[in-house]
Amino acid sequence: MRDKDVRIGVYICHCGTNIAGIVDVEEVARYASSIPGVVVARHYTFMCSETGQNMIKDDIKNLKLNGVVVAACSPALHEVTFKNAVKEAGLNPYLFEMVNIREHCSWTHTDRRLATEKAKDLVRMAIAKVKELEPLEEVKAEVVNSVLVVGSGVAGLSAALTLARAGLTVYIIDKRPVLGGFVTRLVNIAPIGIRGREFVKPMIDELVEMPNVKVLTNAEVISVEGGVGNFKVRIRQRPTYISDLCTLCGYCEKACPIEVPNEYEGKLTMRKAIYLPFKEAYPPKYVIDENACTKCGKCIDACPVKAIDLSVKERYIDLNVGAIIIAVGHEPYEPDKGEFGYGLTRRVITSLQLERLLDEEGPTGGRFIIDGKVPKTIVFISCVGSLIGNKTTNACSRRCCSTITYDTLKILSKNPDSHIYILYRDIRTYGFEEELYWKALENGVVFVKFEEPPKVEVMGDKIMVYVREATINKNIVIPADLVVLFVGMTPSNAGEIVRIFKLSRTADGFIREAHLKLRPAETPTEGIFLAGAAAGPKGVMESVIHGAAAASKALALLLNKKYILREPLVAKVDEELCSGCLICVGMCPFNAISVKYVGERRVATVNPLLCMGCGTCAAACPSGAMEHNGFKDKQILAQVRAFAGVVV
Amino acid sequence: MSSEYEPKVLMFTCNWCSYAAADLAGTSRMKTPHNIRIVRVMCSGRVDPQFIMEAFAQGADGVIVSGCHPGDCHYMEGNYKALRRMLLLRKLLEQLGIEPERLRLEWISASEARKFVEITTDTVEKLRKLGPLKPRLDYVRKIMEEVVK
Ligand code: FES
Repeated sequence: MRDKDVRIGVYICHCGTNIAGIVDVEEVARYASSIPGVVVARHYTFMCSETGQNMIKDDIKNLKLNGVVVAACSPALHEVTFKNAVKEAGLNPYLFEMVNIREHCSWTHTDRRLATEKAKDLVRMAIAKVKELEPLEEVKAEVVNSVLVVGSGVAGLSAALTLARAGLTVYIIDKRPVLGGFVTRLVNIAPIGIRGREFVKPMIDELVEMPNVKVLTNAEVISVEGGVGNFKVRIRQRPTYISDLCTLCGYCEKACPIEVPNEYEGKLTMRKAIYLPFKEAYPPKYVIDENACTKCGKCIDACPVKAIDLSVKERYIDLNVGAIIIAVGHEPYEPDKGEFGYGLTRRVITSLQLERLLDEEGPTGGRFIIDGKVPKTIVFISCVGSLIGNKTTNACSRRCCSTITYDTLKILSKNPDSHIYILYRDIRTYGFEEELYWKALENGVVFVKFEEPPKVEVMGDKIMVYVREATINKNIVIPADLVVLFVGMTPSNAGEIVRIFKLSRTADGFIREAHLKLRPAETPTEGIFLAGAAAGPKGVMESVIHGAAAASKALALLLNKKYILREPLVAKVDEELCSGCLICVGMCPFNAISVKYVGERRVATVNPLLCMGCGTCAAACPSGAMEHNGFKDKQILAQVRAFAGVVV
Repeated sequence: MSSEYEPKVLMFTCNWCSYAAADLAGTSRMKTPHNIRIVRVMCSGRVDPQFIMEAFAQGADGVIVSGCHPGDCHYMEGNYKALRRMLLLRKLLEQLGIEPERLRLEWISASEARKFVEITTDTVEKLRKLGPLKPRLDYVRKIMEEVVK
């Protein structure tokens, strides 16, 4: 026990009826007050409210509390709230422990007696731990006033612009050879109907002109070390082979003998291995597709300004940044061959290919034709890969419904006698976009609601679409000239990103935000923020907002700061006890432990700025010299003993 | 084994995945067995075998250690260290006459509320069949004391 005179206050929250409906809060409070060392135990409707917090603060002052236990919701929600309250009342916030009796108790149990027993056990265990807690001081960490933005789609661009305008140094990287991300493949950003490439151009133009912005294309993060305020990031940049001398004359492209499908045109056309992704591309120069290029060298001979050098090797760049914003976006769903007839005929296409067919600068010059013919009957199938299809994410992709309705209007304006059917499960044209839905209806677009996904049969020249209309409950057969699959958003390489940045994923595979409602754009890791569709499907406008939100959180962290305070829940060596075996050194994944000498004696020492606080060194230390602040052996053991009813 | 026997289970969860999975189970109003008491640590790699020995010595019928999936640990490799320690500890438990099944190591990610429910339910069912650990308690305590010395 840290002190003979422990004075603990215990606070049980009702959370309205969320807790009190199942757990007998009065009983828990009564029980808590019977435990030695507890000087006050109270229960209250909403402990997190102003009144609730004041209750704790007043007790700390009046009753000279030196330990606080709050039994309420998950610490993920309100640990910070109560820590701050404790601190404001003048008590060291690390003498506080939170007990989760909502998510882990009242919400998951139905038996009042058993739930109450469990709550009592958990409270007793926390009291036992608090008795062993020690005051801790936050660790001061120096701050680097720069931010890395990973991904240059609309979310990344919006984040980078916000940061750069505030004067921070910004590194923005993209794994692709050009900036702009997914949006550059869209012709219609509904409901405004602006071309994607034109939409991002002013953003990119402003960004690249700023002296405090550095752009790296063809670049990926391969490792991250350090922590908030001072991350050490290693970036690999694959060679671009073409220097800034490039004048976009295009001779190289003519000379190149290799042809591959052009992903920037929805693979509807071919491009060369050396190519210009699109005319507005930044950086404004040709790029080489490494996978396709055979290094034959014909382009070198063709280049009049000697801008091409095929001997360039990849390079590694080490950056020091205070915060990181992950804006890696999404990947559109790629239907399997045969899924809704995809890949069996050129007349079943995805929504992305449709975008290219509607673009004045696309492969058909904006004429809406397929295989040289104007399609008359067009069937749209929505939610492919999000709610229906072989692999679904079960997440609504948000942008599709308004885009579908917008696209049908665009098609009708080009070919007014088209017959258009939209097969949908739900139509979600929310907000201002509702108008598009009504316009489509007025213009004769037929909306067909299904519950069972439609079937598409390709028979030679004909495509038959079978669907059961759910409102009239009748089977319908539509002979179609063109079927457009509206594909959903799937996570973009999230597994790799999650591994490198040590984050976690949602059930749908997107990168998890710290809290959907309370901490949007944050990850659980301090200093790492999340923007755009990487965190789950978003429309363009939402991504721009999310990017700005992530940036403003990074700004709040770094702007005008020389140092920040870090949680002191790190490892610490008791030099007296340390035998210098250095088992811990090998255990530490962050190289935070090194050797030092106390006189003749060799001991381990921890750098609290590098330590991330996992505690594995403490678990490994054979002499009990390595301790994990806030989770010391004696603190956890006290909890374990109290589990069986023993509180010392 | 009487029908009233209810096993007591102590569960160590890492802060980042398994604790959040238990939160999610609650938020989704899934029903979990009431026999589980969770001790939150930052990483499964923090779980010192002595915590588990102490839990058994104090009368826990079972212990679950749960962390992020391999490769997903917030601290990169803490769960691998937990794996090594738990494998070794299970051998030791056997030596002490404690059925090694009483110690379980699981990977439950933050989104796997369902798995959290399944693992905890299954553990309690298995322990019900195994019956209480009680009779061996003194023996364990004696050995513990020697180990600590
Ligand atoms: S943080 Fe979950 S196991 Fe390491």
